[in-house]
Amino acid sequence: MSFLQAILDGLLIGGVYAVISIGLTLVYGVMGIVNFAQAEFLTIGMFTAWFAWAFLGLDPVLAAPLSFAVAFAIGWVVQGQLIARVLSAPSVAQIFLTVGLLIVIENGTLLLFGSQFRSVTTSYQTISLSLGPLFISIPYLIAFAMSLACGVALWWFMRASWFGRAMRATAQNPAAARLMGIDTALMYKMAFALGVGLTAFGGAVILPYVTVYPGVGGQFVVLMFTVVVLGGLGSVAGAVVGGLSVGVIQSLSSLFFPIQLQNLVLFIVFILVLAVRPQGLVGASR
Amino acid sequence: MKRWLALAAVIVAVALLPLLLDPRGYWIRVFTFTLLFAAMAQAWNIVGGLANQTSLGHAAFFGIGAYTSTVLLLKFGISPWLGMLAGGALGGLAALVIAIPTMRLQGHYFALATLAFGEVMRVIANVWTSLTGGPGGLSVPFVPPSLAAYSFKLLRPHAYIALAALVVVTAIFEIIRRGAMGYRLRAIKQNPAAAEVIGVDTTRVKLQAAVISGALIAMLGTLYAQVAVFFDPDTVFGIASISIRIALIAIIGGVGTAAGPILGAFFIIPLEEVMNDLLSSRAAGLSQLVFGVILISVILWRPRGFITVFDSLRARLSRSGAS
Amino acid sequence: MTMLDVRKVSRRFGGLQALSEVTFSVNQGEIVGVIGPNGAGKTTLFSTLVGLIRPDAGTVTLDGKNLAGLKPHTVAGLGMTKTFQNVALFGESSVLDNVLTAGLLRHGVDAARSEALHCLDRVGLRAVAHKEAGNLSFPERARVELARALCTAPKVLLLDEVMAALNPAEMREIMQLIRSLRDDGVTLLVVEHHMRAIMNVCDRILVLNFGRLLADGTPGQVASDPQVIEAYLGRPAEAARR
Repeated sequence: MSFLQAILDGLLIGGVYAVISIGLTLVYGVMGIVNFAQAEFLTIGMFTAWFAWAFLGLDPVLAAPLSFAVAFAIGWVVQGQLIARVLSAPSVAQIFLTVGLLIVIENGTLLLFGSQFRSVTTSYQTISLSLGPLFISIPYLIAFAMSLACGVALWWFMRASWFGRAMRATAQNPAAARLMGIDTALMYKMAFALGVGLTAFGGAVILPYVTVYPGVGGQFVVLMFTVVVLGGLGSVAGAVVGGLSVGVIQSLSSLFFPIQLQNLVLFIVFILVLAVRPQGLVGASR
Repeated sequence: MKRWLALAAVIVAVALLPLLLDPRGYWIRVFTFTLLFAAMAQAWNIVGGLANQTSLGHAAFFGIGAYTSTVLLLKFGISPWLGMLAGGALGGLAALVIAIPTMRLQGHYFALATLAFGEVMRVIANVWTSLTGGPGGLSVPFVPPSLAAYSFKLLRPHAYIALAALVVVTAIFEIIRRGAMGYRLRAIKQNPAAAEVIGVDTTRVKLQAAVISGALIAMLGTLYAQVAVFFDPDTVFGIASISIRIALIAIIGGVGTAAGPILGAFFIIPLEEVMNDLLSSRAAGLSQLVFGVILISVILWRPRGFITVFDSLRARLSRSGAS
Repeated sequence: MTMLDVRKVSRRFGGLQALSEVTFSVNQGEIVGVIGPNGAGKTTLFSTLVGLIRPDAGTVTLDGKNLAGLKPHTVAGLGMTKTFQNVALFGESSVLDNVLTAGLLRHGVDAARSEALHCLDRVGLRAVAHKEAGNLSFPERARVELARALCTAPKVLLLDEVMAALNPAEMREIMQLIRSLRDDGVTLLVVEHHMRAIMNVCDRILVLNFGRLLADGTPGQVASDPQVIEAYLGRPAEAARR
C-alpha cells in the first residue's frame, strides 16, 4: 500500500516539478541556451510569496501570480540586457553567463534576506484527505492543481495566441520568423521572462511544504535538469512527462533508500537518459 | 629561441617570488593555490579547450585524487607521491567511465551530464563514511617532514611543487596541442563527420583527451590535499568550489590556449581572496555577489577570454608598425 | 581487377527509399561518373560507401575487404574517402592544417606536413597554405577539400560535386587532375551535375533515379539509353548539349 501511496505522492509533487522545469525547456527550445540560473528564480518566487504572506497576509498559493510577475519582470531585463548579448557567442560563454547569474542571485538573496530558513503557516498545511486506504496531502493537492491550471494556461497561450505561435515559429526558424516580420528579440525576451515566471510560480505554490532560504534553488538544479532531459530538452510536453516521472522516481526511491541516496538515484537516471537517449524519452525534438 | 628565453625568464621570475613572500604568511598560501588552480584549469583545458567539451564535472576526478592519496596514507602509511600515482590512475579510469556514455553529447548537454557525474561522486563520498569519513571530512596526518613523505614545515616547498606541476601540465597541454592529437581534436571540434571521413578515430581521440585530463586533475587533487591538510566531500567534489571554478578560470583567461588558464588563475584566485578579505566581514554573500558581477562583466566584455585582449593589442601594434 | 564492389545496397529514411538494391562494381583505375536528378540518392550512396551511413541491407567490398560495420576512419585507413557536397572544411584552421590532419592517417606530423604541401601543390593552392580555410572562395574551398582527401592517400576517391561553381578554366584543371590521379592508380567515383564535364572525363557512368540504379555503361551508351533519356534527361537533345 505504501507503494501506491508513494506513486500518488510522486505524481502530485511531480506536477509541480513539471511547471518549474517548463521554463528551462522553453528557453532552450527557443534560443538553444540552457539557463543554469533557472532554479534561482524558484528562490525568487518563494521569497516573493513569503513576503506577501508575512506582510500582506496573502496565502502563498494566491501570491503565486505575484511571484510570476516579479520573476517575469526580472527575466525580461536579464534577457534584454545580458543573455541577448551572448546569443551568438561560443557555448562556454553562454553557460558561464548564466552561471554568473546564478551566483549573483543566490548571494544577492543571501545579502538581502540573510541565511535563516523561513516558512509559512497555513490552515491546510497538515490536513490530508483519505481516499480509501490512501491519503492525499492537501498542500500537495493544491500545489498540483495550481500547476495544472498554469500548465493548461501555458498550453493555451502557446497554441492559440499570436504570441505563442510567433514564439514557436521563432524556435523553429529564427531567420524565417524575422522575414515574416516577427520581432525575434521580443520573442526571446517573452520566452525567457515567461520561463522564469513559471518557475517562480512553482516556487510560490510549494511554499506551504518547502522552507525557503537563499540556497533553496540549488536543491532543485539537478532535479530540474533531470526533468527536462527525461522529456527531451526543448519539449514542453516532454517536461510534463519528465516532471511526473521524476516525482514518482523520487517518491519511490524514498521507500528503499536513505534520504542522502535519493538524489543519487535521480543523478544516475539523469546520466543514463543522457547517455542512451539524449533526445529524451519522449523523443520530441526541438 | 627568443620565445624560449622569454618563457624561461618568466618561470625564473615566478620561481623567485616565493622567496620574497613571508614563508608563514597568507600570501604564499594564495600564491600556491593560484598555481594549483592554474594547473587544474590547464588540465581541464585539454578537454574543455582542445576538444571543446565544456565539462562541469572535473571535481569528480579531483576529489578522487585527494581522497585516494589521503586514504592510502591514513590506512597504509603510503607516501602521498605514490598515492598521487594511484589517484591519477583511478582518476583516469573514472574519466574513461564517464566519457564513454557522454562523449557523443555536445555543448550544453555535455555540461549537464558531467555536472551530474560530479554530484554523484559528491553524494557517494558523503555517504561512504567508512572510507571517506563522510561529511566530516579527512585530515591529512602529520608525518615528520621530508621530501619523500611529501611533508614540509613551511609552505615554500608546496609553492615550488605547485609551480613544477603547472609547468608540467602546461607542457603536456602544449605537446598535445601542437602534436597529432591537437590537429585531430581541432578537426573533431569543427566537423566530426569530416574528421572521421579523412581517417580520424574520433571516439578514440576524445577518450584519450578525457583520460589524460582526468588523470592530471586527480594528481593535482593530491597536491591540493597536501597543502590544504583538511578537506571534505563538499569542497573537493564541489560544483562551485572546483568544477565551475576551474572551468571559469580557463574561460576567463581564454579557452584552448596555454596562456589562458594561467592568466585566468592569476586574475580570479587572488581576486577572490582580496574580496573575501575586504567584504566578508561586512556582509555574508557580498564578496560572492561582487565576484558574480565581475564574472558576468568579463564574459560580456570578452566572450572568448582575456587572451583576446592581447590579440587585439598585438593586432594594433602590428598595424601601427606597418604604417 | 575489381577495386570496389557494391551488392544490393539499400537504405531507407522514414518513408523515403533513398537507396534500393544498388549493385555495381568498379575496376582499379577507372573513372566512374554517378549522375541522376536531385534526390536520386547520389550523396547517400557516397555516405554509405565510406561508412557515414549504415546500409539496411547489402554489402560493400573494397579491394577484397568487406566494409560491413566499419566506421569511416577505418574505411579511410583501408583506402576510401570522400569529399562533401557542400564542403566540410575545418573553417577556423589554416588550409595547410586542414590537409595536414588528413596526412596524419599515414604519417607523423612532420611527414604529414610535407605530404600536405605536396597535395596542395597538386590542386594549385600552395600559395594560400597559411590562410584560414573559412576565408577562401567557394571554388578554392572545394579544392582544399580535394587536397585533404588526397592526403589520405586513397585507393578509391569519391568526389561529390567538386566542380560546382567553377569557371571553365578551373574545371579543365580539375578534370586534368582527375585524369592524372587515375594515372597514379587511384580509382575515382565522381558525382557531378555538369554533363559535358562528366561525359568527357568518365570511362563509365552510373545513372541513379529514386534510389535505383537505372543504367550502367559508357557515356555513349548511357546518353542513348531510352530509359535514361526518359527518366532523367527529359528532352535528350537539349540535355546532352548542356
